[in-house]
Formats: sequence, C-alpha cells, structure tokens
Amino acid sequence: MEGSSTAAIGRDGPRLAPRRRLLPGIALVVVLAAALVLPQLTTNQFYIHLANLMLLNSIFAVSLGLIASVGQISLGHAAFVAAGAYVSALAALSFKLPPILGIVLAGLVTGLAAVLLGKVLLRLRGVYFVLVTFLAGQVFTLIVLNWESVTHGANGLLGIPAISIFGLPLSTRLRFYYFALAAFIIVVTFVWALMRSQYGRAFRSIAENVRLAESSGIDVSRYQIVAFALGSGIAGAAGAAMVHYIRFLSPDSFTFNDSIAYITMLVVGGRHTMIGGVLGALFLTPLPELLRGFVGAQHIIYGVILLCVLLFIPNGLVSIGRSFFSKGSETETPK
Amino acid sequence: MDYSILLAQAVLNGLVIGAMYMLMAVGFTLVFGIMRVVNFAHGEFYMLGAFTGFFTYVYWEIPFVVCLLIAALTIGILGMLVERTLIQPFRSDEMSGMIATLAISVIIQNGAVLLWGPQPRAMPDIVTGTLAIGPFSFPWSRLVVIAAAALIFTAFWLFMQRTRLGRAMRAVAQDTETALIQGIRVNYIYPLAFGMSVALAALAGALMGPVFSVSPFVGLTPMLKAFVVVILGGLGSVPGAVVGGLLLGMIESFTATIFGSLVSDILQLLLVILILLVRPAGLLGQREA
Repeated sequence: MEGSSTAAIGRDGPRLAPRRRLLPGIALVVVLAAALVLPQLTTNQFYIHLANLMLLNSIFAVSLGLIASVGQISLGHAAFVAAGAYVSALAALSFKLPPILGIVLAGLVTGLAAVLLGKVLLRLRGVYFVLVTFLAGQVFTLIVLNWESVTHGANGLLGIPAISIFGLPLSTRLRFYYFALAAFIIVVTFVWALMRSQYGRAFRSIAENVRLAESSGIDVSRYQIVAFALGSGIAGAAGAAMVHYIRFLSPDSFTFNDSIAYITMLVVGGRHTMIGGVLGALFLTPLPELLRGFVGAQHIIYGVILLCVLLFIPNGLVSIGRSFFSKGSETETPK
Repeated sequence: MDYSILLAQAVLNGLVIGAMYMLMAVGFTLVFGIMRVVNFAHGEFYMLGAFTGFFTYVYWEIPFVVCLLIAALTIGILGMLVERTLIQPFRSDEMSGMIATLAISVIIQNGAVLLWGPQPRAMPDIVTGTLAIGPFSFPWSRLVVIAAAALIFTAFWLFMQRTRLGRAMRAVAQDTETALIQGIRVNYIYPLAFGMSVALAALAGALMGPVFSVSPFVGLTPMLKAFVVVILGGLGSVPGAVVGGLLLGMIESFTATIFGSLVSDILQLLLVILILLVRPAGLLGQREA
C-alpha cells in the first residue's frame, strides 16, 4: 500500500504537505487491523454475518461505481450478480466444479456477457442507458424464472456447496469473513489502481464530457465497454462468492430492488469516488437491522434517513470524511 | 366463431389495461418532460388513488364519479407538497432526484402497510351487467374503465392545448430558460405538473380498483409498465405515451392469450429493447440535442 501511494504522489502530490499524506495512511492501517481482529472478539454470529454482507455489498457498490465512472448508471447490476451466482452454483451442482474456480468462471462469463451486451447497449447514453439496463435486468429475471429445466424456476437451487480452500471448507461465518475481506481488499486495490492508471484518466474525462473526450481522441465506446465489462465481471464473481456463502439461490435472490439498493449505496456514500460506494454499503447494510426495534416503521425510517442524507449531505458521506482529512478532491469529477 | 369471440375478448382486455397504462404513462412522461425527473414513486400514487377510491366508495357509499374527483384532488395536492418539499432541492441533479423518489416510494408504501395492513382487499364493481352486441358480450364494468380513461385523457389534453397554464407547461418542457424569460413562473409550474401527473396516476388506481384488488403493493406493476410504455413512446412525449400505452396493452393481451403471460412479459421487454436500440428516443419522441 505504502509503495503504491508514493507512486501516486507524482500526480497530485506536490500540493500536499507530508503530514497530510501520513494521516490517511495511519487511518488505513488502523482500520485494517480492526477489520482483522474485531471479528475474533465477538461470538455473536449475527454480527459476523452482517459484516460479511457489508463486505459483499461494498464490492457490488464499488463495481457499480466503476461503471458509473464512465458516466453510465446501470439499473440492471443485480442481474449480473445473479448471473454470476447461477453460473457458479450450477457449475458446482452439475459438474462438481470447485466453488473457488466457479467464482473465477462466473467473473469471466459475466464479464464476457457484459462485453457483448455493452457493444449494443452502450450506444445509449444517460437516462436511456439507465432504462435499457433496467429492461435487460427484467428480461434476465423472467428468463431465469421460466427456464425451469436448468434453473429450477421459482423453487431455486438448494444445497450449493461452500467454498473450500486447500481442503478447508469456509462453512462458518467467521471463515467466510476472512475470505470476503481478502476479496474486498483485492477488488478495492484493483479499482483504486485502475482509476490511477491511464484507464482511470480516460474514464473520468468521459464522465466529465463525452464529446470533449471523443474529440480529444479517446475511444469512448471502447473505454465504456472496458468499464462495463470489468464492473459487471467483478459483480458476477462477487455474486458467485455470495451464493456459496448463503448456499441458496432463487430468482428472488437478486432483483430490481437490489439494483436500486446498489445505486442507493453509491449515491449515499458519494458517487464520484470509489470509497463512496464502500461507505454507502457500510452505512446502509446494517441500517435496517439497527432499526429492527421499530417494528413496522423500520422501512419508513430507512426512507427518511435516505432522504435526509440526499438533502443535507448532497455529495455523500465521503464528503464528511474528506473535510476531516482536508485532502482536496483527488478523484472527484465536478458536475 | 369461437375465434372471433376470443379475439373480441383480447381486444377488450387490451383496451382496459392499455387505458390504465396510458393514464400512468402520460403522467410519468409529463414529469420527465418538464422536470427531467424519473419518478419511481409514481406507482405509489396509483396505490394511494386506489385506496382513496376504495375507502370513499365502500365506506361513504357516494357516487363513483365523486370518489374519482376526491382521489384526484387529494392525491394531486399531496403530490404538489411532495414536489415542493422533497423533489425541488434536486432540480440540478437527475440522479439524486431519482434516488429521492425511490426513498419517497419506500416511505409511502410502508406507510400504507402500517396504516391499512398488507392484505389485498376486493372492491365491488361499480356497474354490473353486460353489453351484448350480436354474439359478443362485454361487461359494463370494463367498458366504463375505457370510457372514463378516454374522458380523463381528453380533459387533460384540452387543458394542455387550450389553457394558458397548459401552454406554459409545454413551454417549460420545451425550454425552461426561454420559458423563464417569457415570464413563466417555473417554480409554480413544477409542483403543478407533478400534482397533475400523480393525480392521473391516482385516477388510474381508483379506476382499476374494482378490476384488480387494492393493496399497498399494487403500485409496482403499473409503475414498471409506465416505464416500458414511456420508453416505447419516447421519454417526455405525451402522444407517445398514449400510443405506447394502448399498443403495450394490446400486445400484452394478445401475446398472453396466445403464449401465456410469462412469455408475453419477455416478448414485450425484448420488443421494447429492440425499439430503444433502433430508435433511442422512442416511437414518437424527439432526439435530445
């Protein structure tokens, strides 16, 4: 981490005093240490389960953020998550493929599907892309529901095996937690590095102004397809990981409402930065559980909190953290 | 002979759901055209309209026309308040506006569950009997829905075409800044347009109450269909919403009669995706600059 953060200084480093760079580094180490140690201190399985969901949701939100970084919002993201989950679950059930390979396969299949779909769908921009991805997601759900010979329709798939690494099955919540944490760190590091590469700069310029990017010689459709394929592939692989944890899958597992939930996480966290998706997922995933005491009214309170965040913290939770570190807007795309 | 009865049945069903889709889509597209907001709470106003119609008709036992008026007025005013307080702050930000309407939808739907419970309620037909023409017989309860929807749309269309306010709304939809220069008070037009839009949804809900049942969850399907219709007809285009609504109703009714309803759903969506790819602005929409 340290090495790559010094590499990044070349771009926006000179403006920052050394102490300001140190603070986020220390914070990162503290958070990581806490993430490693804390689960050992609790015996409450539910908290660990919640932490697992938070990590997986973070990956979903970050992968959606990757697509959003080229200025496109997908309203069918849950369909890719579900597609990855079905690929890996079916491969494990029918062909006895080890789940860990199934996850890789799921990522490749959904990524490839996104390339093919993207070639067609990404011709549409803005709200039209939002709508067509919504429709594509609905079509996917209906196909899964109807293709009963393979997907078992609404009955869903039962008895999906857990991931096992070198013969060690990740069948407990705690074991899966460390797997999810590793996956989360890999994804976040990958996206972080990508956004700092030539690709990231191209993505941002497209999000800021498509026409200007196009006339500067940036191949907009190629970069958009790359972002769409990577985002969808990550979502598919994470969906596969999730299904080997939950170990049940039906057409209701990932729906339109989940697509909406991922967008909500991204917007609440701060949609112009990668960390925004993570913050949104960490904040929103446990929220319904914390409100469980207000039986019946919990969803209403959830809606109210969402509205309040939108009204009073328009740039997302990340803007609070940013003013704390006073780090300037490194990856923010002005709109 | 058998086939012609089946055909007539399919046409009638197509017209009934098409009329409902039309009312939903017209309001949806109006808000998008004027405010650039994709209103995910549109279906919840349909649901509130259905409940208002249900309670006023079943408990107060007043004529159904009055029930419709009450539903349109109360939900319309509620819509204006919602726009003014919760949607206006996001005027410059389409995406946050969209999420805000999602939050509103969650609040309204769960509020309805809390108030009225989740179980569906059956609403009695407002008229009984059938109209017999030759070998065909049509239930009056369905014909009334079609007639009422046509009447409501005509009133809306005349308002948009003939009144100063309607012209102002169309001007804002075409070009907000130029409309402002002409002295149109955009800040009044927005809540008014939103109120009218959700009043149309409420009317659709009240009309369809006797056809389907009434529950806090009835808004989702009409909202998704309005989505599809509006894509089909073109975002922001009112004539497109009418043509798209009736077309989708017919396609749905016929494909459901021939292939069954699940295949029908897939076919509809694929058709719309195809249209969107060939003509992104929809059948009657205009390409954005």
